[in-house]
Amino acid sequence: MATLPMYASESARAASASESRYRITVPIAPARNARVIALDARSAAVARRISDGPWANARFYTCEATRGRRRADEVLLHGIDGVPAALDDMLRGTDVVVVIATDDSGGALAAAIGSACSARAITTAGVVLGDGFEADDAVAALRPHARVLLLSADESDAFELLRALRV
Amino acid sequence: MLRQDINELLTQTGPGTPMGDLFRQYWIPALLAEELPENDSPPVRVKLLSERLIAFRDSDGRYGLIDEFCAHRGASLWFGRNEGSGLRCPYHGWKYDVTGQCVEVPSEADNSSFCENVKLRAYPLVKVGDILWTYMGDPAKRPDLPEYEFAHVPQEQTYTSKRWQQCNWLQAFEGGIDSSHVTFLHSGGLKSDPLFKGAKGNEYNMKDTKPFFEVADSEGGLFVGARRNAEEGTYYWRITPWVMPAFTMVPPRGDHPVHGHFWVPIDDENCWTYSFDYHPARPLTAAERQAMIDGHGVHSKNIPGTYRPVANMDNDYLIDREAQKRGETYSGVAGIAMQDASLQESMGPIVDRTKERLVPADSGIIKARQKLRKAAIALRDEGVTPPGVDTAHHRVRSAAVVLPQAESFLDSCRDAVKATPGVPHSSV
Repeated sequence: MATLPMYASESARAASASESRYRITVPIAPARNARVIALDARSAAVARRISDGPWANARFYTCEATRGRRRADEVLLHGIDGVPAALDDMLRGTDVVVVIATDDSGGALAAAIGSACSARAITTAGVVLGDGFEADDAVAALRPHARVLLLSADESDAFELLRALRV
Repeated sequence: MLRQDINELLTQTGPGTPMGDLFRQYWIPALLAEELPENDSPPVRVKLLSERLIAFRDSDGRYGLIDEFCAHRGASLWFGRNEGSGLRCPYHGWKYDVTGQCVEVPSEADNSSFCENVKLRAYPLVKVGDILWTYMGDPAKRPDLPEYEFAHVPQEQTYTSKRWQQCNWLQAFEGGIDSSHVTFLHSGGLKSDPLFKGAKGNEYNMKDTKPFFEVADSEGGLFVGARRNAEEGTYYWRITPWVMPAFTMVPPRGDHPVHGHFWVPIDDENCWTYSFDYHPARPLTAAERQAMIDGHGVHSKNIPGTYRPVANMDNDYLIDREAQKRGETYSGVAGIAMQDASLQESMGPIVDRTKERLVPADSGIIKARQKLRKAAIALRDEGVTPPGVDTAHHRVRSAAVVLPQAESFLDSCRDAVKATPGVPHSSV
């Protein structure tokens, strides 16, 4: 019977730089089918700018500002190219939705979108750009649903989040 | 994931690198004060930001941190004789003071001015709290001394330890702002660690294993809020501050002391983890201090006479699969500190972040990397002073609170996350 090599510590050897060379290297296929929804006019401009990025499966949408509660089936989105899309259709096959807000005008939409995502077990992330105070309602509406809320003054955080998620 | 060039930018801290220059804008821990316990005590080798240095405390109690190697023939001054207000190389007797100035070259003529022209690179070394801090940047830009609360409360209220971690500083630091691993990796500790157990907040931690996160800019870095369900209509929030470049605090539990870390690059493949515990409003009890010395809480049990943990990669971290099966530990490794270190070191000396698959819950890490990258580039290209240099940024605290569901942790905890001398931390 062959004898297996014994080492004083597998951990020390396994964690060495030389052993790192033997890690399996295969292309990592994008695993996310992301949808990015801009809730207001300024965030729509952000979405348009970052939609030109090197995304595999990400799709970008805007929605019209609205006041008052909205049901999910009342939310009408537009692709960046202007083509209308129903929220229900847009969420089909999606596993992560990133919502971008800059003010409170999209608060009602945030609640409807967040609720629809929760019902479909879709991970939701919110990126709230600005000083945070202008989007209190949007933050409050997203809070129950968004696994993560990123409150930032830096527009590039939206891009970096998407890139880190390999969408 | 992170592009390879950005991973290299963030993980390389040697002289002349963007992150190295960033770290050189701050006072950073160089060694514990206990390592130089008295005047003329033996010198100590210190490697920081990929520079080999020697620390000593001269006959007059002055601290020095100078180039490790004698200017003459390059012998290590670790062998030096610390005597007569200077460190003398035992090879040919050249002697240096705490500023690195050569003050004696015995082979030269008496009254020769030769040694006046010989000076080793030296950095200031100043005791604040239990730590000797150094500043390795441009002397003209030297900031005020650090004002982190743990280093300023009375001695009987604070305790600091350190341990060698065998990986790049960034993967160690990233553990400090990653609240989502606590419920899994440290679940055993929440039940049994004398510095953690018994807090009401632990129950929320254990009941709700899928926290929600909010990540927000602060003046000095970030606040990362982790939210779990508490009683009806309320959330349990754990708020972790990060002050750039490498100071993090762990949210407190009950009336236990509050703790945190400073993650300091030794070189690109090793770092020091400084771990502190303090109570803002009362002395540590004898039992608490002993628990810290024994390696509980965020501290580690080190090999006597060293700062290497007893459980380390050379003994497979003393992993105990039976304890893992019994549920005493989640990973089989004992102790909060080594549970973290074992996994971070297992990634390799510098983890290849191009292969990561991050999820939205990693947003704190994503944002921190972004802030570090931007600050390093702004410093390099425009000379912009980075966040965290201003000592006002140091006066932060972690907090653990229960809030009504509608409330923002940022709005409700403005006072809780400020370090206010003598005021207890906000904790559940």
